[in-house]
Amino acid sequence: MYFVLVSVLACLASCHCFIERDEKNENHCGLLQHWIESSLVSMEIIKRGFHREVETTVELSPDVHSGVRVLLLHRWPRGVYVDPYQLASLSDLSDWKIILDSTIDLEGPAHKTTGFVTFVYPTPDGPTPTLLKVTIPIHGRYHEPSFVAETFTSVEIEPPELLLWTEKCMPLNNVEPHDVMEAPCTHHNSSSCQWVKQQHQQKERGPVNVQFPVGDGSLCGPVCGGTLLVTMLCCVALSKHMWEHRII
Amino acid sequence: MERLITKLTEKHVLFTASFVIRLALVAYGDYQDKTMVVKYTDIDYHVFTDAARFITEGQSPYNRSTYRYTPLLAWLLTPNIYLNMVFGKILFIVCDVLSGLLIYKILLLKGLGTEAALRVCALWLLNPLPIGVSSRGNAESILAALVLGTLLCMEARHLMWGAILYGLSVHMKIYPVTYALPIALSLRTTETRSEDNKGMKSLMRFIRSFLNRELFLFASVAAGVFCMLTALFYYMYGWEFFHETYLYHLTRRDIRHNFSPYFYMLYLTADSGWSQWLGLAAFLPQLILLLVASWAFHSDLSFCCFLHTSIFVSFNKVCTSQYFLWYLCLLPLVIPHLSLSLKQGVGLLILWFAGQGLWLGPAYFLEFEGYNTFLWIWLAGLLFLIINSFILIQIVSHYKPTQTPQRLKVE
Repeated sequence: MYFVLVSVLACLASCHCFIERDEKNENHCGLLQHWIESSLVSMEIIKRGFHREVETTVELSPDVHSGVRVLLLHRWPRGVYVDPYQLASLSDLSDWKIILDSTIDLEGPAHKTTGFVTFVYPTPDGPTPTLLKVTIPIHGRYHEPSFVAETFTSVEIEPPELLLWTEKCMPLNNVEPHDVMEAPCTHHNSSSCQWVKQQHQQKERGPVNVQFPVGDGSLCGPVCGGTLLVTMLCCVALSKHMWEHRII
Repeated sequence: MERLITKLTEKHVLFTASFVIRLALVAYGDYQDKTMVVKYTDIDYHVFTDAARFITEGQSPYNRSTYRYTPLLAWLLTPNIYLNMVFGKILFIVCDVLSGLLIYKILLLKGLGTEAALRVCALWLLNPLPIGVSSRGNAESILAALVLGTLLCMEARHLMWGAILYGLSVHMKIYPVTYALPIALSLRTTETRSEDNKGMKSLMRFIRSFLNRELFLFASVAAGVFCMLTALFYYMYGWEFFHETYLYHLTRRDIRHNFSPYFYMLYLTADSGWSQWLGLAAFLPQLILLLVASWAFHSDLSFCCFLHTSIFVSFNKVCTSQYFLWYLCLLPLVIPHLSLSLKQGVGLLILWFAGQGLWLGPAYFLEFEGYNTFLWIWLAGLLFLIINSFILIQIVSHYKPTQTPQRLKVE
């Protein structure tokens, strides 16, 4: 009889533990949902010309716990690129770390390359502050010349997607309407985690349009003609003088 | 002032001072890299160092994107990883000062006095352009030393050493291959003029003049060195070595803005069917000029090589400021024989810099301010070609060779 009593008590105790853990889990997941809903992401593009800087500011909810990790997912169009070597040297001097999803062609024109994705970890080690700022240098690619007298081409850059993760909300459930996404846990890219992705409506501003100059395709004829004429004339003049002053 | 120049151009003072200046800049560059946002060291130096790092890890240097040089360079720079990253820069500045010494020796061999030779050398040794380039970590000085070494050996008739250095320089960078024709013309048997000038016989005599022991020795040693190095690195690194070291440079079509007069034409026609034909049309002036220069000046090899390189760079489909050093290192060999006055010489120099400045202006506004200045850059590129051609014409017209071969009177 005592044996039955003890086993029932043990069963009840373990059930209580599971329920408590589930409750804590739900609590943290609820908090995570609340944090992601109350966070704000804004993006600004500074500098001019072919070399710009994308400044992303993330304002997290003030009650965010220290165990929360932040990930910024940029989906870049093919009109721009990042220099992995420049990023590597910058990364040594700053807090944030970055992973690229593919090899970057540093020299190709826009119409011969594809877009790419970057994973930016603003504070890979240490506690997460409520205000994060990450500045990533980007470079414009050369675009196809325009045949309709347009002097600039527009490249649309979307603000990054904010993803949050905490080990206290594992496995992720009940975070609707937010999506769950698989992404590397850290910049070491050794394992994959499930992150909560912020919904689109919560971004402060929409995509930013960046203008890059393009060549004027309608001038193709005069440019080719002019170039070949000048080079041939220089060739003839120089040949003539070299022949006249030749050393026998 | 005269005393200062005399003091500065004493041999030991000059060479020591030029080395110390370069060393000081290397040290300063290290400081600037660590403390300021704008780096002193050129990006190429990091490319070489990364490639050297791959080699120390047993991998191919071509794992480093944009490494488009011979593996020999990365191998030479492996002490950057094992010892200190500054090793490469020290190597480059040593080669730079060595180039100055080679210029001095060539000038002496050509009959110039010691003092005059040192003054001309100072134009290279105390010139801010090569000082800046080598202290920033560009490898151009290695090639300058190799080319000057080849010319010194040819001048001193040490043909085998000349051939070895020539084979090595062609392996390191393709452009010295253009010197093959003037070298061959200068090594062929010079015969007394025959009255028998019938077409076929004259042609046969011309071809036979190339078949002599000296030319054969030079050609086989140079080709042997080149082929040996190519075979070795092909065995080690495969097709990628061949493509990045040679093919890329031969077929390079950089549509991004550069000094070349062809840049805008190539950008606008990059994807059109005319692209290949235009590329060929762009190659013709270069080819014609190189053939004329080889025939006209092969008896004065230094001058001929200088003309070859200036023509090659000015009429090339891609031209960056690094390329200027390829012919600037040969200019001191030409200067003592120019009958231009100091005023004329300085005038041409200012014109050359003005041409670059007129290009750099719109290029800056395009790249860093985002204005559409493509048309201005194109026009500035054409103007720069005209200026370069004018300067070359002035040099050719005022060149007085010291050798006995007669100068043909201007018709």
